[in-house]
Amino acid sequence: MSAGDTHVNSPEIQRLARVIEPGHSYATVTDKIASIVLTRPTSLGWLAGFSIAFTLMMVLMGSIAWLVTKGVGIWGINIPIGWGFAIVNFVWWIGIGHAGTLISAILFLLNQKWRTSINRFAEAMTLFAVACAGIFPLIHTGRPWMAYYMFPYPSTMGIWPQFRSPLIWDVFAVSTYGTVSALFWFVGLIPDLATLRDRATNKAAQIIYGMLAMGWRGSARHWHRYQSAYLLLAGLATPLVLSVHSVISFDFSIAIVPGWHTTVFPPYFVAGAIYSGFAMVLTIAIPLRKAYDLEDFITMRHLENMAKVMLATGLIVAYGYFFEFFMSLYSGNKFDVFLVQQRLHGPYSSYYYALILCNILTPQVLWFQKMRTNVAVLFVMSLVINVGMWLERFVIVVISLTRDFMPSAWGRYQPTFWDWSTFIGTLGLFVSLLFLFVRALPAISIAEMRELVHTSEDHE
Amino acid sequence: MRGREMHWIRIDRYYDTGLKTQEDTPAENPELANPQTFFQPVPCQQCENAPCEQVCPVGATVHSAEGLNDMVYNRCIGTRYCSNNCPYKVRRFNFLRFQDWETPSLKLMRNPEVTIRSRGVMEKCTYCVQRINNVRITAEKEGENGASRGIRDGEIVTACEQACPSEAIVFGDANNPNNRVSKLRAQQRNYNLLGELNARPRTTYLGAVRNPHPDLAGPEKKEPA
Amino acid sequence: MNLPHPELYGLLGEFDSPERLMDAAKKIREAGYRRIDAFVPFPVEGLSQALGLGRKHDLVPLLTLIGGLGGGLTGFFFQVWVNMSSYPMNIAGRPLNSWPAFIPVTFELTVLGGSLFAVFGMLALNKLPQPHHPLFNVERFKRASNDKFFLCIEAHDPKFHLEETARLLQSVNAQHVTEVRDED
Repeated sequence: MSAGDTHVNSPEIQRLARVIEPGHSYATVTDKIASIVLTRPTSLGWLAGFSIAFTLMMVLMGSIAWLVTKGVGIWGINIPIGWGFAIVNFVWWIGIGHAGTLISAILFLLNQKWRTSINRFAEAMTLFAVACAGIFPLIHTGRPWMAYYMFPYPSTMGIWPQFRSPLIWDVFAVSTYGTVSALFWFVGLIPDLATLRDRATNKAAQIIYGMLAMGWRGSARHWHRYQSAYLLLAGLATPLVLSVHSVISFDFSIAIVPGWHTTVFPPYFVAGAIYSGFAMVLTIAIPLRKAYDLEDFITMRHLENMAKVMLATGLIVAYGYFFEFFMSLYSGNKFDVFLVQQRLHGPYSSYYYALILCNILTPQVLWFQKMRTNVAVLFVMSLVINVGMWLERFVIVVISLTRDFMPSAWGRYQPTFWDWSTFIGTLGLFVSLLFLFVRALPAISIAEMRELVHTSEDHE
Repeated sequence: MRGREMHWIRIDRYYDTGLKTQEDTPAENPELANPQTFFQPVPCQQCENAPCEQVCPVGATVHSAEGLNDMVYNRCIGTRYCSNNCPYKVRRFNFLRFQDWETPSLKLMRNPEVTIRSRGVMEKCTYCVQRINNVRITAEKEGENGASRGIRDGEIVTACEQACPSEAIVFGDANNPNNRVSKLRAQQRNYNLLGELNARPRTTYLGAVRNPHPDLAGPEKKEPA
Repeated sequence: MNLPHPELYGLLGEFDSPERLMDAAKKIREAGYRRIDAFVPFPVEGLSQALGLGRKHDLVPLLTLIGGLGGGLTGFFFQVWVNMSSYPMNIAGRPLNSWPAFIPVTFELTVLGGSLFAVFGMLALNKLPQPHHPLFNVERFKRASNDKFFLCIEAHDPKFHLEETARLLQSVNAQHVTEVRDED
């Protein structure tokens, strides 16, 4: 930033440019973040929120129990709509996870300092979203207790998984993604766990954090290897995150169903994933910074930058929608042309228009800085985009299946109570895990914040 | 039923009123009362490049050397991906436990050669694989020096072929040019359902040649390989 | 080597900024000490160089490469073996060796192998987990994970001498100098 430019130095611009509010030292950063976990009493709000989330999580457990008892027939799926809410939710959750890895890995490689205060909980969000997503491919199978057939283990029958199937690619992509995200998150946590160990006053906390910190003592030799491992993980996670949603999109684009069989899917799915992921990060960050007075660390600059990322990825998604239609019409294939007519005028067209409204039209307000810096607008917008991205997956997965090649085999889809309860239950699981996370682990990376204090001292 | 019928052969019906669009079809239109009816039995088409096989994650549906699209029920975990990717939508899924295993009096009713599937398993037309195997075993027993005598044309009769009173369904080895099925397939009327997808279905149909007099429209012919 | 203080691990100097620590580290290295280590609450740029840790000190990138290549090659040839030799099956009329279909799994296993080797390699090279370390006996050392910067000269260093080394640490602006003892 050029110092001579008066415009650039205006207080408002500076306020928007800060990634940490002034007046913080190493000790205040440590205190502020560690105290949320160690000394702050459990608030009524936390208890109330956690109780609601936990109840919803029990709804999930109940739904799964009933599903295992009765079979997937309790859902609205049928022939021809073999995949319903379960796969919609799976793709939606996995997509949400993508923002966490993008923030922690890609922005790290791009040396974006503003990632520091949001990467920890965004990574946690990734893990929890992958946990929610991972439930669905398992329980949506007719015989979930046989799902281990999808793993390559030497069986007595001598048979192996069928490696041409995109579902096997999913198994590898999602389990790798979950593992690498967990490793990345845990490696980032080690120094902070050591901080908590050293600051904890109660014996149980000292022991638990001590075990998790594994004897980390901040040795320069350790930091040296730690940093190269972290950088390498970021380098590996970057292509990984792009590959995961590409592989998810292969579930559809490899198939021959009109509306699925599209080459634009991989990039369009990845952009959509990041879009919905950033929306979810905002949905979490805005209440979090309010509840725990973290406005100094999660500043307006963070919120605005995330809004910009949403705007950009939203436009890529819009491009994807456009080309999906264009290629369908341009191909001249009668099934693809029919698909476009169905989207616009078919029995489920209202979902399509709702999707366009949520994902393309409304987010255009983010072009205006006034809107990008208005916390309430951002919060509402993040919810709208979350809904829109869910609708997108519903339109692609379910509606494409309702009317494919042979009119005699067309069908309708009607979600049942259990479809909804399973979906809402995973929201409960996700929020419960987040509630536990903010109370048990530092929601912001303390070590990286100290580094930020150090570098911002250099500049001032 | 919500699209959960367990029949393996779907009888598709199409109606032709001769009218072009929906606007042309007011309710009082007499044409609607008596449309021309077309029907087509659609079992599993036993595709050579089967879209279902490619997407099954556990290899529960694979090709046999004879060209059958085999369904391995024990291996199936029920992802339903095969059904989604089937352009004919001829696969059927046990969404719930549809069978009654407890009532003793019903046990004798069931065909011992067609195992009852439990819930969560995909199933479909097998070209009556149990009948094929019975004939093959007979042919092997009657052969000499350990070699099979070979299966004769028309020796295998599938259940649908047996049940069809107008003998519209013909089953046989399409690799032998002298078989009934090969001769029928050589006709110009022979066509594949959704042939442009290049799934190369083994089940093919003969286009119906209709007499202009509407009362005498002939049935279609279908002959699996 | 016959150490004068068998239970002594080393001398720990405390600094209040990374700049002072780096300065001290350079001076102590110039004074000929080699068995030194710094303990800091966040990675400080240039500290490795100040302590004389070279590139060869870091085997993590090599391990990651080995893990990634190992994972990818194993993944690819495993799929080829399964489809061509272990249990060949005619699937959808595709060739037995449908190698393009094997690429996604190969890629994922490359990343998985690389990541596991990077993290567990880093931990192994750092000899972590290590529940006990003499430094944890020092009460002030708790601030190494907060806002203080420490430099430790180990008693194993050939030049180590309790009084002289302590004086040296004070002369390079250490705020506190503490003896680190390994008690049971």
